[in-house]
Amino acid sequence: MVAKPRPIPEKLPVPPAKDSVAAAEVSLYRNVLKIRQEHLLEDLGISFYDAETTIQWSYNADHYFHAASTMKLAVLLGVFRQIDRGELNLEAPVHIRNRFTSIVNQQPFMLDLGRDADPDVYGHLGKTLTVRELAYWMITKSSNLGTNLLVDVVGIPTIQQALDEMEIDGINVLRGVEDTAAFHAGLNNEVTANGLLKLLRLIADGKAYSQNACDEMLKILLDQQYRSGIPAGLPKAARVAHKTGNISTVHHDAGIVYLEGRKPYVLVILTQFSAEKGRGTAVANVSRDIFNTLAGSIYE
Amino acid sequence: MSESPALQALQALKVVDAFDLDDELRSILRPGEMIRDAHGRRHRLPRYFYEIPSHEAAMATKLAPNFGMNEFVLVDLKEAPRLQLYPRYVPCAVRVLVFYLQQFRAVVGSSLHIVVNGGYRSPAHRLSTEATPHMWGTAADVYRIGSNILKTQELIEKYNEIALDLSEDVSVHPYGHVTGKNSDDHVHLDLGYITLIPREISEDRMEQPQESRPRFAFEDRRGRERRNLPEASDKPF
Repeated sequence: MVAKPRPIPEKLPVPPAKDSVAAAEVSLYRNVLKIRQEHLLEDLGISFYDAETTIQWSYNADHYFHAASTMKLAVLLGVFRQIDRGELNLEAPVHIRNRFTSIVNQQPFMLDLGRDADPDVYGHLGKTLTVRELAYWMITKSSNLGTNLLVDVVGIPTIQQALDEMEIDGINVLRGVEDTAAFHAGLNNEVTANGLLKLLRLIADGKAYSQNACDEMLKILLDQQYRSGIPAGLPKAARVAHKTGNISTVHHDAGIVYLEGRKPYVLVILTQFSAEKGRGTAVANVSRDIFNTLAGSIYE
Repeated sequence: MSESPALQALQALKVVDAFDLDDELRSILRPGEMIRDAHGRRHRLPRYFYEIPSHEAAMATKLAPNFGMNEFVLVDLKEAPRLQLYPRYVPCAVRVLVFYLQQFRAVVGSSLHIVVNGGYRSPAHRLSTEATPHMWGTAADVYRIGSNILKTQELIEKYNEIALDLSEDVSVHPYGHVTGKNSDDHVHLDLGYITLIPREISEDRMEQPQESRPRFAFEDRRGRERRNLPEASDKPF
């Protein structure tokens, strides 16, 4: 259900007077359009909320994108729903097995472990890892095997129920990862920038089930090992609790940015491009632009 | 000739009559109950179990030179929560299985690695949808032999043939994708629905259930048969 790319306006808006929030927003809008043009993005979605100033800003934020690995945030939420209800334990052992069932034809499929970036999970084939360990590798190294195992543990209906209970629109989880039959049938997980923003805001505010659950989720998200997205546009001192998502034609990042001496801001950047073009540095550029806007236009 | 520490550890394990366990464990292990297999045939679940008090005891107890008790109690969260904790229970027939596994190992000349959930599974295990020898402790799922991870048809069929050559008592799952009937990422080897009653055990209690013990349907039936009483009936005379 990925829509056609929106055309980029030929004329950029005229900036209002400097030193106003409106000026910052328009400046941001102009810069985002520039980045979109420079990187030949087919589509771009951004949603942003700053807890310090309560400014919310978005661009194309209700447009659905292929979720790629950002769907793992929803899996994480589903896991903590079950833990909060006492139906699952973070220390419970899970058998590491590379065998899953397609949602389309119920046929078994295996992950191509050569593509999975995470030997920390597939190195345990035949043995067990705990729910906590799987959640950790699912997020920090984007382990597909860990994800599918956790999807098997909690179930897709539970994940979707968790999203519904939290009134998160804009995230549709239909299946685990690398279900090729489902992919060919057009059954894909989808996200909007606003959907991911809402999920991350609940975690940042300690409102996803319990403060303890949110603390656990944040701890995992802060250990993210792929930092070419949002963190690449920030000063080194920034701490980012985030999840990236990459396939051949999308590069996303969704995270909570912690800067010294202020409340965090939540930022979701979704990009889509042609396979020939490659992903480039659009996400980092948008991240940098938003940081500069906050640091310069608003606080100077 | 002195016995090895491992054999001493096995002999030190308590054999329990599952009828004597607490309510929760009896409801999980369901000793003596009949259960249907995939073909609709009924089999009686085992009654006598080794009680393994701790992880250390499981590790220390050898069932054969190359197989420890710990390998048959590897389960994940699909097993009933109570059976993820110690003491753990494994049907006594596991010793017969290990006898054949040791032979299998000798023929292939490499270590056998039993997968998690691939040893004993209780009737409450989420994979126990119908009777399987795993519930009798007489089946093993081997996912790796030596350094070979069994994920190809060629490897699985090769080792299946070796297992079948061990004895006519041994059965395997052919390569395929139907859960419970085939295997595509391990070798499933089993001996069928064998129960083992240790020689130290007297079975007279089966025939004379204690009044204080819960009564099971089959015990009532046997009691009636012994006393030549008619079947209980709610039909009007």
